[in-house]
Amino acid sequence: MRDRLFITTMLLPTVVLLLLFYGYPIFDNLKISFTDLSLLGMKRGGNWVGLANYRELFRSGDLGHILFNTFIWLTATSVILRLLIGLGIALLLNTRAMKLLRLAAVSRFALLIPWATPPIVAVVIWRFLLERNGAVNEALIKLGVVDHPIAFLADMRTVWPSLVAIMLWNTVPLIALSLLSSLQTVPDEYYEAAELDGATNWQKFRFVTLPFLMPAMLVLGLMSVFWSFNNFVYVWLATGAGPGTYTNVLATEVYLKAFIDFRLGYSSAIGMVMAVIMGAFGILYLRLVARQQLEETL
Amino acid sequence: MSAPASSRHWRDPGPTALAVSAVLAVVVLFVMVYPAVYVLIGSFRPGGGLLSATGTFTFRNYVRIFQSGFGRFIVNSLVICVAATLASTVLSIMAAYAFSRFDFRFKRALFTGILFGQVFPWIVLINPLFVAFATMHLINSYIGMILTYTAFTVPFSVYMLVGYLVTVPKSLDEAAIIDGASRWQVIWYIICPVMLPGFVATATYAFLLCWTEYLFALAFLTQTDLKTLPLGLYQFFGEDNVDWGAVMAASVVTTLPVFLLFLPIQGRISPGRIAGAVK
Repeated sequence: MRDRLFITTMLLPTVVLLLLFYGYPIFDNLKISFTDLSLLGMKRGGNWVGLANYRELFRSGDLGHILFNTFIWLTATSVILRLLIGLGIALLLNTRAMKLLRLAAVSRFALLIPWATPPIVAVVIWRFLLERNGAVNEALIKLGVVDHPIAFLADMRTVWPSLVAIMLWNTVPLIALSLLSSLQTVPDEYYEAAELDGATNWQKFRFVTLPFLMPAMLVLGLMSVFWSFNNFVYVWLATGAGPGTYTNVLATEVYLKAFIDFRLGYSSAIGMVMAVIMGAFGILYLRLVARQQLEETL
Repeated sequence: MSAPASSRHWRDPGPTALAVSAVLAVVVLFVMVYPAVYVLIGSFRPGGGLLSATGTFTFRNYVRIFQSGFGRFIVNSLVICVAATLASTVLSIMAAYAFSRFDFRFKRALFTGILFGQVFPWIVLINPLFVAFATMHLINSYIGMILTYTAFTVPFSVYMLVGYLVTVPKSLDEAAIIDGASRWQVIWYIICPVMLPGFVATATYAFLLCWTEYLFALAFLTQTDLKTLPLGLYQFFGEDNVDWGAVMAASVVTTLPVFLLFLPIQGRISPGRIAGAVK
């Protein structure tokens, strides 16, 4: 009985805080999405408009483009490249050659630099490097790759690859270091057994290393889907969803509609679409990650 | 373990493999390190060193940003982030202790909810929170930001701390309780000293999340004298032209504490654990 009171005291503040900041807003967001609430007329309140915001959203020509950007560029491309490059770097750092060259430790330290760099600063760094007369253009012109400087973040042909590159620079180290620590836990016996069977290096990688890394890759991949899909800062700070609205994604659209166009109701409808998509991912997360985290932790 | 276990069983690399590895490693090193170093150097050059090839060393960028009121943003960020970190760490230690020591109804459901909080899209919460904050006069207020940052670092902190706390044997608590200590005394005199490095690592990471948070600050702080560091950094980006010298210096000022705080704790923060906390 005394324990029960104690447990309640310990948990109550956290539970109340989370209900106020996650539970209540998600329901209120649903409510707002059925109104025409404006940022400028909040005192007056919004009028109930039923499904009008949703109807407008699904009829608007922008949605397809925004979903394409969010799914294909912001999420799929960045997640797949992040895992592949991260795996590549982890494997490289784990080779005998790196040990012999005494590069393993220094490379690991080097990975900490982009990892520790906050996203807000990572964007600054790359906006500077990708400027018309910035270092990247300067190098490309000197090497004779291009004649005229490219406006990387303003040109439709280069803006998405540039954005993905910024995200990768900032987030690949986390993946690489994670996979490297997984690599170092592969039991010796597995490789010994493979050697006895006369396995080649490739076969050892394919049948010992890769299966061993798969669980970690799956978790990292899924978490990576979450922080890419939900991400606001990279796109907003690097391009402001531009040129025009060319790089607009769901997160920046929610912000644009609410705080630039003052249409809180419409913006909340977009937020609900996002929440529903995340809910679908959430089931995967519960099945694959949360359950495992729960077992490991509790 | 002197060598990574897995590398011992690969054949020794020939000269070609060595050369290829060396080249690849240099490319990786260059791409990872050079951008950050370039900005650090740029912060000491006029105009960020962009147009002028003159390599004159100057502190003027730093002097200029502080003259234009950058110090104010640092103070705002410090007040908000320190308060939020303290609040969130205390709440999280309490919750994590309960999770790690007791079995109770809804325990798994509650913990799953907290894990879910880690991956929830913050952007979806911004409209309803803005409406609620506006009616409670919490827009442009320290209190509003502190509450927000407390709420948004709690899921991560609880998860981290439960991970640490389950490694402390329950028998330690039970022995003390038999000796007549209360639960609060157990936490204060036994758990806290033992777990201090873990608590410090968790609190530090929570602080860094607040220190570099942009979205909530953007939405909830519109008054210049209340803005935080990330907003201050981006005010040097004008409509048409960018004051690169100031931006470089402000970036260094923003990032320096991050590096100083992050490097000592990074060994304690397993990448898998914080993967969800990256926003």
